[in-house]
Amino acid sequence: MRNQLLGSCAGLALCLLGSSAARSEDGWSAAVPPPRTDTISAAKLAQVKPGSSTKKEVQSLLGAPWRILQFNDCGMSMPGQADETWDYRGRNAKGSYRVHIEFDDHDVASLVAKIPDRATGNKGTRAKIAPGEMKMAMKM
Amino acid sequence: MSHLIVPRLTKGFGCLSLLALGLVSQALAQGPAVAYPPYGSAIPVITNNEHRSGAVNEDAQKMPAPNGPNEESIWNMKVEGFNDNQARPIYQPLIVNQNGREIMYNGNLSGTAKNPLTGVSESNGTSIIDVTNVKKPKFLFHIPGPDPINGSFAAAGAQMVRVCPGSTMPNAAANGIVGKFFLLRAFGNAGANESHQIWDVTEPSAPKFLTTIISGLSNTHKSWWECDTGIAYLVAGAVSDGWQQSGSKQHVYVYDLSNPAKPTFIRQFGLPGQQPTAAVATQQPCLNAPSDTCFEGTTNPPGGVHGPISMGTVVNRVYMPYGVGASGVIQIVDRQKLVNGCKTSGPGSNPNASANCQNSPTQADLLWPQVSWVTMNPENGGHSSMPVFNVPIPEEQSNFVDGTPQSKSLLFVASEGTANNCFGQAPHDAWILDIANEQTPWPMATLSVPQFPGNFCGKGARFGAHAVTEAIYPPYYGKIISVSWFNAGVRIWDVRDPKNPKPIAYYIQAPNSNTAASCSTINGATNCFNATMNDYVEYDDRGFIYAVDRAGSGVTILSLTGEARKAILPQSEQ
Repeated sequence: MRNQLLGSCAGLALCLLGSSAARSEDGWSAAVPPPRTDTISAAKLAQVKPGSSTKKEVQSLLGAPWRILQFNDCGMSMPGQADETWDYRGRNAKGSYRVHIEFDDHDVASLVAKIPDRATGNKGTRAKIAPGEMKMAMKM
Repeated sequence: MSHLIVPRLTKGFGCLSLLALGLVSQALAQGPAVAYPPYGSAIPVITNNEHRSGAVNEDAQKMPAPNGPNEESIWNMKVEGFNDNQARPIYQPLIVNQNGREIMYNGNLSGTAKNPLTGVSESNGTSIIDVTNVKKPKFLFHIPGPDPINGSFAAAGAQMVRVCPGSTMPNAAANGIVGKFFLLRAFGNAGANESHQIWDVTEPSAPKFLTTIISGLSNTHKSWWECDTGIAYLVAGAVSDGWQQSGSKQHVYVYDLSNPAKPTFIRQFGLPGQQPTAAVATQQPCLNAPSDTCFEGTTNPPGGVHGPISMGTVVNRVYMPYGVGASGVIQIVDRQKLVNGCKTSGPGSNPNASANCQNSPTQADLLWPQVSWVTMNPENGGHSSMPVFNVPIPEEQSNFVDGTPQSKSLLFVASEGTANNCFGQAPHDAWILDIANEQTPWPMATLSVPQFPGNFCGKGARFGAHAVTEAIYPPYYGKIISVSWFNAGVRIWDVRDPKNPKPIAYYIQAPNSNTAASCSTINGATNCFNATMNDYVEYDDRGFIYAVDRAGSGVTILSLTGEARKAILPQSEQ
């Protein structure tokens, strides 16, 4: 019974891997996969300070972001989701990652995080935030 | 005009499989070409395929626990294809059969990303993807959205899409639109000069701007466009129009878009208490203090409308959800009286319509088309209200009432969960309302997704209901219902016994390298999570199911398997 279960799990895993592989061949835009080499200078990234760095300064340090996101919806700023986000792509020895920078209404960085694309577990990746800044402060 | 024909069959199944599933006979049994809303006004007939005991005491399949938060989880579904949508976050998808080609239109949330087809970074707008071959979707074109204002994308995006064929419109030949297809889209989200636009998408790889229907708006949202009449219910608001709403500042602008190049304004509409002349400072709830200036619901003024759904000229009803995620109201409206209620003669007209009915109606003008309204629990709002008519009730196929088979008309309502990590909000679910007597809608069942297993409130991003699928695909109609549930993915229920809906399938996309992180401060520490957020789930006319991701992780194309597949088969073939 246990072997059957393991066999089923292995089969399912192969199926999932297969479908992932098929998707990576067929569905991805040529220009957006993560870079093969690191494009983000750690020294420059360290100069991005939550609470003080402006959009202009961030662009001067890191260049144009790979992607900008803004999740306003229904004309409403949803709690903790209204800040404009700039994403950069990078790669290090541990794999590909994104630098995620959120800006407040005054175009000042409020949060900076370096997030592995393949994070494990569900604890998340620690972010740096501006002094006094809380992102939907909660207790769980 | 293949968008009018009977539903086609999911590719990827061999002929023998199809015959074994009995779908061929089911499809052929549909008869001659018919068109369902929004393409026409026919409503599918639902045949009972459930045992007379319904789902009661049935051996319900145990819903499997999802995998880890960074893994794909799938139950009774199969992944058929994928497209990354250029890493743009998607709000609303729509899949249209354009003369045999299946074309997907995605309304994107605000931001910018590089368009690999042009090599240029483009403000998020409308993605157009050929999904005819679901195994290899082909990104055809991206129509950019508004540019940022003073460097801010807060007002940008083009979240909403509707597409109609010109051939089904009244006076199509005279207007020279036979054989053409038109895209209605929002242009901007909330700002100083938003608008609704029409594009000619006859050749979806080379869309052409046609016209701006209305500009100068401060809000846009999810519109509806009847392809057989041309009547459109545009969700919009402008500071200058004087309408009053709490939360999202939007109501309905009704237009005749039967000649897409020449939009004709009909009227503005909203809940009593929202009209420009409403005495918001002093008005009381209509429920307890009815007067000629009162407000419906629990918030003064009532929250904005999210997205009306018209069931066309035969059913003659429009279903309007207000409030999105809080203080909701669901309103049922007489379509003919809505469209013609500012006229003083003719079908649906109001002999007592006020002189300013079109733009600044009185409360009486707004009540003229109203059939009924439901005030929701203030913790929840009206995001979706999708009707399904004449669902056979398995237990009531004999004995009850006059002994004849009984059915119920249902309204599927969803409230949008808007907070990351569930924080600060009540749970947001979906519900089945019995609208057999539409004057007195009554709750029948709740569709909910358990937080555990899966620890959905702890995996990052939003957890809760968002939207009910709006596409009418007859084999699914009245048998299954799909609701997007953000980080809990696509959720499907077997609703053949709507008093006892059963979870029957789900799909949770794994985060990928395009997934936008969601960051929260929990117990004093700020962390960012990679979590997908299924924003909408829609069907095409072959039965493929499209899950689109709000966090930028792309489009996943799915089909049903196992028990979910069986649920749509005739009883003899299950």
